[in-house]
Amino acid sequence: MASLPKRIIKETERLVSDPVPGITATPHEDNLRYFQVTIEGPAGSPYENGIFDLELYLPDEYPMEAPKVRFLTKIYHPNIDRLGRICLDILKTNWSPALQIRTVLLSIQALLASPNPNDPLANDVAEDWIKNEQGAKNKAREWTELYAHKKN
Amino acid sequence: MEGYAYEYSHDSSMDSITFSDTEYPRNSYENKNPKERGISKDKLIKNTIVDHVLTQESEFDIDDNLLYSDDEYDEDYDDPYMNSSFIEPISTIKERKGLSKGSVPNLKYECLTTQNIFENMLAKVHHLQPIFNIPPEDILILLQHYDWNEERLLEVWTDRMDDLLIEIGINPSSGNISSSINGNGQMRSISDIIENKNSYCNNQTETNKDENEEYQIPNTRTRDISFKNNFFCTICCEEKSTETFSLECNHEYCISCYRHYIEDKLYTGNIINCMGCTLALKNDDIDKIMGHPSSTKLMLSSIKSFVSKHNRNYKWCPFADCNCIIHLKDTSSLPEYSRLHYSPFVKCINLHKFCFTCGFEIHAPADCIITNEWVKKARVESENLNWVLSHTKECPKCSVNIEKDGGCNHMVCSSCKYEFCWICEGDWAPHGNSFYQCTLYKNDDNNNNNNNSTNTNSITDVNKSLKKYTFYYKMFNEHEVSAKLDWKLGQNVGNKVKELQEKLGISWIEGQFLTDSIRMLNEGRTALKWSFAVAFYSDASHNLTKIFIDNQSLLSKAVEDLSELLQIKDPEIIMKRKTDFYNKTGYVENRTFALMECGRDLLCKGICKAN
Repeated sequence: MASLPKRIIKETERLVSDPVPGITATPHEDNLRYFQVTIEGPAGSPYENGIFDLELYLPDEYPMEAPKVRFLTKIYHPNIDRLGRICLDILKTNWSPALQIRTVLLSIQALLASPNPNDPLANDVAEDWIKNEQGAKNKAREWTELYAHKKN
Repeated sequence: MEGYAYEYSHDSSMDSITFSDTEYPRNSYENKNPKERGISKDKLIKNTIVDHVLTQESEFDIDDNLLYSDDEYDEDYDDPYMNSSFIEPISTIKERKGLSKGSVPNLKYECLTTQNIFENMLAKVHHLQPIFNIPPEDILILLQHYDWNEERLLEVWTDRMDDLLIEIGINPSSGNISSSINGNGQMRSISDIIENKNSYCNNQTETNKDENEEYQIPNTRTRDISFKNNFFCTICCEEKSTETFSLECNHEYCISCYRHYIEDKLYTGNIINCMGCTLALKNDDIDKIMGHPSSTKLMLSSIKSFVSKHNRNYKWCPFADCNCIIHLKDTSSLPEYSRLHYSPFVKCINLHKFCFTCGFEIHAPADCIITNEWVKKARVESENLNWVLSHTKECPKCSVNIEKDGGCNHMVCSSCKYEFCWICEGDWAPHGNSFYQCTLYKNDDNNNNNNNSTNTNSITDVNKSLKKYTFYYKMFNEHEVSAKLDWKLGQNVGNKVKELQEKLGISWIEGQFLTDSIRMLNEGRTALKWSFAVAFYSDASHNLTKIFIDNQSLLSKAVEDLSELLQIKDPEIIMKRKTDFYNKTGYVENRTFALMECGRDLLCKGICKAN
């Protein structure tokens, strides 16, 4: 395996030694660029008490290129589609090499706390969210109950 | 410019048209200024059509003057047909001008390169500088942010200049300043001024002064490369002794990370920010970091994205490796032209001609819709027709494989000396003296049934239509191949002219009839080629279609004659037949125009339509 850039090693070390509350990221043992991630639903959001699985991959060009992140757990959210793809500016055009795995994951957690239905990825969910916010939140809660891991 | 008249003599080879001196006095070609000459040529062409082709007036009532489209462009550029040191005499260009090639009359456009556009932008910057009173490269960034739209930028600028400067990353926001507190203080004073809005003008001069001062303070201390020992870069996480770069925000990174970062971004055309915040890197910074002038790459890619975004007015020349951009200032008339089935043909400085709307080559007499339909069809059906695409044919007599490598359709088998027609593969003898008919699609089912044993006796409609298409496609393809070969011939014509000069002491200008002939041959071939697309989609039973097909045959014959003439190698014979060259070239020109107009008529009347 090609030698891992120091940057990735450092970040991984720090993720282990100084973990972000409510977030875990573990590199795969066969591929240190591939991370298994869990994010806790933020308190006060419809995703509260759920733990969501994600996968994160650091492309060859990282950190010049953004990491690729995807939800593995089904989630009812206007900016996350059926395949778990996330619509988040810092993962696309606003990526900066100064950002890190940790900041990306924090941003995703923040996205769970404040969905942005005006810039939707899952159009149907976003429409629901705009028309009937309470109903949509209830559905998100139901889905969290159904699909996410339970927080002990 | 002087000295060569078009002598339209009565020539037996020109079947249907003779140019009598009474109708078109020769004077008008000889000694008038080019423009006038062109006009009289127009008249000539128009009359020709009216007399011989359609005897309809409606669509030909175009004001003569309108037929001049791209005056400015024709004159200034070299011709690939000749050595670049030569300049084409204006007269020949103007002469051709009459032939408006089914193009939009009076189409105003300019041909630019990204470099030209960038220079225009720099001129804009220069123009804005006194208003903005910030360094030119900052204006460049502002313009880049606003897609080079001066008006929008000015609007926002007058509304909220201080916010804008922070938003776009030209000035540091108060949040991420640590070193340039001075500058920040000044920014605040500006915002105060705007908020208070009293005596704005007076204060503005102050503001300007402030800003000037701010920018006259050399920024080198805050944004520059420095060398650090044991520097820890937060991007690569390596600790090393290296050059570093940072902006006023003090986000400092090692030079190799910065280079890597910029290298990727140079081609996106977007403003490049500091990796740690929104502060923008200026062109100077980029060049400094990269160690060589790289910011031009960014500017050009920004212009490129500008062109792509404004593709209503700007079009890339579709020819390979041509970097020209055609800028059409006013597109409002395009719908009207398309209603009249004119196509907006434009020509870049490399003399690549294409249709502004669809990006194809000159496709008159077909319009964009027919062209598109035809090309699509060709793509779909090409698998059936692969065999047509092969450039070889067997000699109808001795079956030796023959490749046509140029010239006319009068083939002489090098093996058995059999003379035949490349198109119909029939004996040449009847072609030579009688009317050239090979462009005509004959619906001769019976014949084919007898000849073609592989076909079943019951030819279905599908088969028939495929056959019809195959025929037209074959014709189209023939002419395409021929046109390519002619193009090659054209590349050598400069040498031919030189040869005339050297061997016979003919002046260069006098030798230009060769160049003109080749060019006309090419235009004729192209028109002929696309006319088969029109013919394919036309209602064959309509009388006008028949006229169109007659026109096709006439042009086809004219082109073949000219092509044959151009095969002559001996300079002496060429000079002896100079009048022939003139006559045949002029004839092809007229026939081309007639065919184009006739095709347009078919389209306007709805006789030719895509499905």
